[in-house]
Amino acid sequence: MMDQPSVSPVLSLSHVSKRFGDFCAVDDISLSIPQGSIYGFLGPNGAGKTTTIRMILDIIKPDSGEVSILGEDSALKVRNRIGYLPEEKGLYKKMKVWAIIQYFAMLKGMDKQAAKDRAFELLEQYGLKEFAEAKVESLSKGMGQKVQVLSAVAHNPELVILDEPFSGLDPVNQSVLEELIHQLSDNGQTVVFSTHVMQHAERLCDHILLITRGQKIFDGTLAEARACIPRRVLLETADSVDSVGSLSGVTSITAVDGETESTQWQVEIAESLNPQEILKHCFNAQISLSRFEFVEPSLHDVFVHLVGDEAADKDKVEAA
Amino acid sequence: MMKLIRLIAWREYMENVRTKGFWITILIIPVMIVGMFFLQIVLSNATPTRYYLLIDQSGQYEEAVAVAIEREHQRRILQEFVDYLLEHRLESDFETTAANASDAASQFVDDVDADEVAALDQWLESGGLNYALAMASPYLESDRPDFEAPEPQFVAADLPTEVDANGSAEDIVNALRPYLNGSREISAGDERGSLFALILIPEDVNNDIMRPGSMPQPLDQNRGIQYWASNLTDSRLPDAITRSINAEIREREYIELGVNSSLVRDVQRTRLPVSQLDPTAAEGEESVSMADTFRQFAPIGFVYLMFISLMQNVQYLLSNTVEEKSNRIIEVLLASVTADELMMGKLVGIGMAGLTTIAAWLFSFYLFISLYSSNETELISQMLDVILGSELIPWFVFYYFAGYALYSGIFLAIGSLCNTLKEAQALMTPMIIIQVIPIAMMAFVVMDPNNTLVRVMSWIPLFTPYLMMNRAAADPPMIDLVGTTLLLVVSIATVLWLSGKVFRHGVLRSGQPPRLMEMLRLLRVKAPAGG
Repeated sequence: MMDQPSVSPVLSLSHVSKRFGDFCAVDDISLSIPQGSIYGFLGPNGAGKTTTIRMILDIIKPDSGEVSILGEDSALKVRNRIGYLPEEKGLYKKMKVWAIIQYFAMLKGMDKQAAKDRAFELLEQYGLKEFAEAKVESLSKGMGQKVQVLSAVAHNPELVILDEPFSGLDPVNQSVLEELIHQLSDNGQTVVFSTHVMQHAERLCDHILLITRGQKIFDGTLAEARACIPRRVLLETADSVDSVGSLSGVTSITAVDGETESTQWQVEIAESLNPQEILKHCFNAQISLSRFEFVEPSLHDVFVHLVGDEAADKDKVEAA
Repeated sequence: MMKLIRLIAWREYMENVRTKGFWITILIIPVMIVGMFFLQIVLSNATPTRYYLLIDQSGQYEEAVAVAIEREHQRRILQEFVDYLLEHRLESDFETTAANASDAASQFVDDVDADEVAALDQWLESGGLNYALAMASPYLESDRPDFEAPEPQFVAADLPTEVDANGSAEDIVNALRPYLNGSREISAGDERGSLFALILIPEDVNNDIMRPGSMPQPLDQNRGIQYWASNLTDSRLPDAITRSINAEIREREYIELGVNSSLVRDVQRTRLPVSQLDPTAAEGEESVSMADTFRQFAPIGFVYLMFISLMQNVQYLLSNTVEEKSNRIIEVLLASVTADELMMGKLVGIGMAGLTTIAAWLFSFYLFISLYSSNETELISQMLDVILGSELIPWFVFYYFAGYALYSGIFLAIGSLCNTLKEAQALMTPMIIIQVIPIAMMAFVVMDPNNTLVRVMSWIPLFTPYLMMNRAAADPPMIDLVGTTLLLVVSIATVLWLSGKVFRHGVLRSGQPPRLMEMLRLLRVKAPAGG
């Protein structure tokens, strides 16, 4: 477990497991989500993200372990304070757009008129005003999904849980959604979302949970995630780089890409070594560089590092 | 909790009400009733004049055929006259109108059935229509319209000039074939029309007279009198001719044997009435009226209404659950409400839609009766009074709700296990077949409501609402009434409880519907979320 923030967490899981027959969907996962954070569940398809989310919402019961959500042991007790967008998206086809947002908000305890006003307000805010009176079946898939996101947040929940909210959206709407998530966070609302696309998590999240095959691999802030793997410098040169390897603070040096004229080298360096030292060394040693790049590790790299190339490849993590 | 159930129920109700299927169901029953009603009137008034051609080569039966046709005409006048009397009599009380043939008009009809020839002759002798009108007028409304006797329906056509009435039967028929099959029109005085029938009496027809004791001869289609007509359904003319000619032949036989034929006729018309009495009715009210008979048959209508309404609503419930499941709305819903609240909301909402359907039917029925009042609707409104005054309505309400709760529980469970309607249909079929069984038995059950088989089947809860409704008018034994009701209520509670369990598990399931063993396992394990 991470260090607890001073405020009590909005959501915490401790040693939660769920099996479906012989298949272990979630294996002993613990985590704690501080209030106001944007928290990403990352992992390949089938890693157990959706099962974890369903257990958080008490739609299915864990076989073992405990869930604490908004101070209660079951999401059902605080369901009006939670907003949820499930992985597979769908709405009542025959209902009008505003009515469906109103309906879901009313199910969360809003009164009729307030829910209706809120529906129109949201539709206007997110550029769907002219579709307010349209039936859901006439919307495109992406628009339908936007409507569904709006209906999940219409009642201003303290905790918003979005399962794969970006899938199926075009880049423009993806950034609209990112904007919406930022706004929720700015309001002090806590957002938990799952994705198998690392980029979104990288742009949005304060905290991430990495899981694969039901197991937690990492849980912490983005910076902490990046710190998991050594810092790297990428060199490209036709000359020998043996002398670079002998610098103190260089932990390893490997050829990445062997071309006829020049070779790419990946140099892993310790925290203590300033990458400038390598550049300086190369200059001094008259190694002529066609490329020098200090690489900030991506979440994908973190993931690959943590689960191993083979596993990552097998699980088909999408790097971008 | 109640607020959420109401909200869900309201949405389900509104969505159901907005479907085309709902309005089709609502409209189909009144349209059918009104349509059938008017169709009947139109059809009975629309029968055209029918031209017939008589060729009597024997020269003996022309008179008998003419009499037959005149009698058929008088019979029709009589029928319309009875309708006229019923419509315009001062007091028309359905409750006291006897179901059996005991009042004057129906007694006369009965007499006609016994010996039509003699009865109609007597009717004509005693002054016929005019006399009857004079006799009846004190009992009729003063502002009634005059009775209009119908025009003769069977009219003799002229023999086409190219046909030789004395030719062979074959030649005559061949010559007249174009007229009989409608390709040529025949003339009758100034009128022209298609030839309805040819009655051909061969010269040697008397050789074909059959007597008791004579050896049955091999059937030869050309024996006796030949009646040629392409219309096979209207049997009034051949029947009348058969009766009249047979009467004529018998008359001759009596004379030949030296029997007093008028004595024989009187004997034939001697009769003893049968009064139908109901042992379960109070003293002094035992005689079975038309209302009683109607009351016995009324459950068929209720069973049918129940069937149509249940089928529509329960199937809607199923497809709606499958829709929510297949597009995963169910997950959002379950994050907002418990599975039990969702299930209750659905049951209530769609149950209300079912009630709306039935209320709309009754209202349109009432509207029809009050807007269109005539002899027939008078009868219908009296029937309605009978229904409203009977114990059938409370039973119907009870069995409707019971049937709805039972079947909707089952269909909801089926819906929650399926991801597509196609999958659901496979599971649904046995349930529909089960419901068709009591519908198929409807008429039989009304005739023999306390039959052992029916009694045993009434104890099967899936049949109870239909069969007990079907038997409701026949005072089923108390043990059946109480026993099946208890069993039904217990079954409903069990089904709803079990389908609640299946629903909770099923709604989040994806993939194939479960196998039987898996389903049993679902029922055994403890319920998860919601509870």
